[in-house]
Amino acid sequence: MSPDALAELSMTEAADAFARGDVTAASLLDATLHRLERHGGKVNAVVRLDRDEARVAAAAADQARKAGARPGKLAGVPMMHKDMYYRAGKVSTCGSRIRRDFVPAVTATVLQRLDAAGAIDCGTLNMAEFAQNPTGHNAHFGDAMNPWNAAHCTGGSSSGSGAIVGARIVTAALGSDTGGSIRLPAAMCGVTGLKPTQTRVPRTGVMPLSFSADNVGPLCRTARDAARFLDVTAGACPGDPTSSKEPVAASEAGLDGDIRGLRVAVCQSWFFDDIDASVLKGFEAAMAVLKGLGAAVEVVKPGSLFAVATYTGIVSRVEGATIHQQWMRERAGDYAAHLSARIYGGNAIPATAYLEALSRRGPLLRRFCDEALGRFDIVATPTLRDRVPTRAETDIDADPDNWDRFMDLSRNTRPFNYLGLPTVSIPAGFDDGGLPLGLQLAARPFAEARLLKVADAFQRETDWHRRTPF
Amino acid sequence: MADSRLALPLMDSIRRWQGIAAPNAAARHGLKDFEGLIAALEKLRGELVFEDEPASFEAALAACKEPEA
Repeated sequence: MSPDALAELSMTEAADAFARGDVTAASLLDATLHRLERHGGKVNAVVRLDRDEARVAAAAADQARKAGARPGKLAGVPMMHKDMYYRAGKVSTCGSRIRRDFVPAVTATVLQRLDAAGAIDCGTLNMAEFAQNPTGHNAHFGDAMNPWNAAHCTGGSSSGSGAIVGARIVTAALGSDTGGSIRLPAAMCGVTGLKPTQTRVPRTGVMPLSFSADNVGPLCRTARDAARFLDVTAGACPGDPTSSKEPVAASEAGLDGDIRGLRVAVCQSWFFDDIDASVLKGFEAAMAVLKGLGAAVEVVKPGSLFAVATYTGIVSRVEGATIHQQWMRERAGDYAAHLSARIYGGNAIPATAYLEALSRRGPLLRRFCDEALGRFDIVATPTLRDRVPTRAETDIDADPDNWDRFMDLSRNTRPFNYLGLPTVSIPAGFDDGGLPLGLQLAARPFAEARLLKVADAFQRETDWHRRTPF
Repeated sequence: MADSRLALPLMDSIRRWQGIAAPNAAARHGLKDFEGLIAALEKLRGELVFEDEPASFEAALAACKEPEA
């Protein structure tokens, strides 16, 4: 197969082809490197390419398979990850000047699990500085650029992860999601992004932003990719006492395309306020697809969303401000202006407001589940209410008056971080400017298997996730 | 771009409590969000009850699962 033909494979298709002996790990890696050389400059997604180490790992994978070893679930598949997943002895910049030379002593649990499954780690990816913007701007490494139109945002904070999967250079990449940082770049770059249930995937060896709301998850081509990625990475870890001990369901095994009888709640309060017409049109078309598959779609108006939306910003802002305090005293000028500005305000929120937000989280989760998921299996919303904006119109460093547009981008994703619910964004068409649209689906805690079953069924009926930018 | 009426007291509070100065104009500008945030919190007064505590979240995650999940 040609490099471009190999690049068309999803993560699971590539892994399965390797397991069958149809392709070698070396040829998959060559395809990645070929696509990176040809298209990498269009997206500015890579911070560090570990070409030599990847070649050694790919050769070892090929040799092991020839020797009859049973391949892991991700064996032979090249990946790159957001530059905030620590690998012992390797620089992890966290997208910042402050950590430009930071070398961690530990390897993230999630990287260890991907290594054990046979994935080939090729290096690290661009990201919003300290994972703290929804657009993908980065003053230190340059903005990652949207593969569908370089003038537009990739979404953030996992900007490089969205851009490189969207550009079909790798099939999967780790992102992180504290307020939408997986789902926003997934939606804006036309790929699939999964934020698992809070506590589902361990965070050991992962740069913190907001310990109550940080999540580890993949950006990839398909729901099936996300299911396998989750199956490999989820589950308790002794190093992360906050990681859940809930048994990990085999998400991929349940993907059969059958969603007859599924009950879908469309949350019309909050998520549809001032929605763009082409975004709404795409969402309605997506609901028609689900109905065609046998789902019942109804509108609900949860009264809990105002409180959820109010409290979610408080939690992440206070926790982010707290862990950055010393650098804000000593090195404020080393942050991009938009980031130090965001961090700064978090210091002014009273401790009582922060604890109120944390204390209301459990009751509000129960109330939202009663209101929106009591009679329904899935909640559906657009991932963004607006079209994908340009980098210029959301650049606060150039013009602080862009603040509102910048902050509003994560309006539809943030509530699910506060609620802790598993949520996925999948490609659901294009706006009339040719930029991708995202469909956001959420389910009850730990119901990733159901969530991905619905996303997979949708992708069996549509080809939005198969469209390529170049 | 005018400062919020809250900007100066908030800046003073941050400086006193954390020893951090406003790093730039955008930081001052961003403090305007607090008017809306405080107004939103005012609307929520009375909803926090005496027994509410942060650990209720982990309990709610477990309680709200699907039976088969």
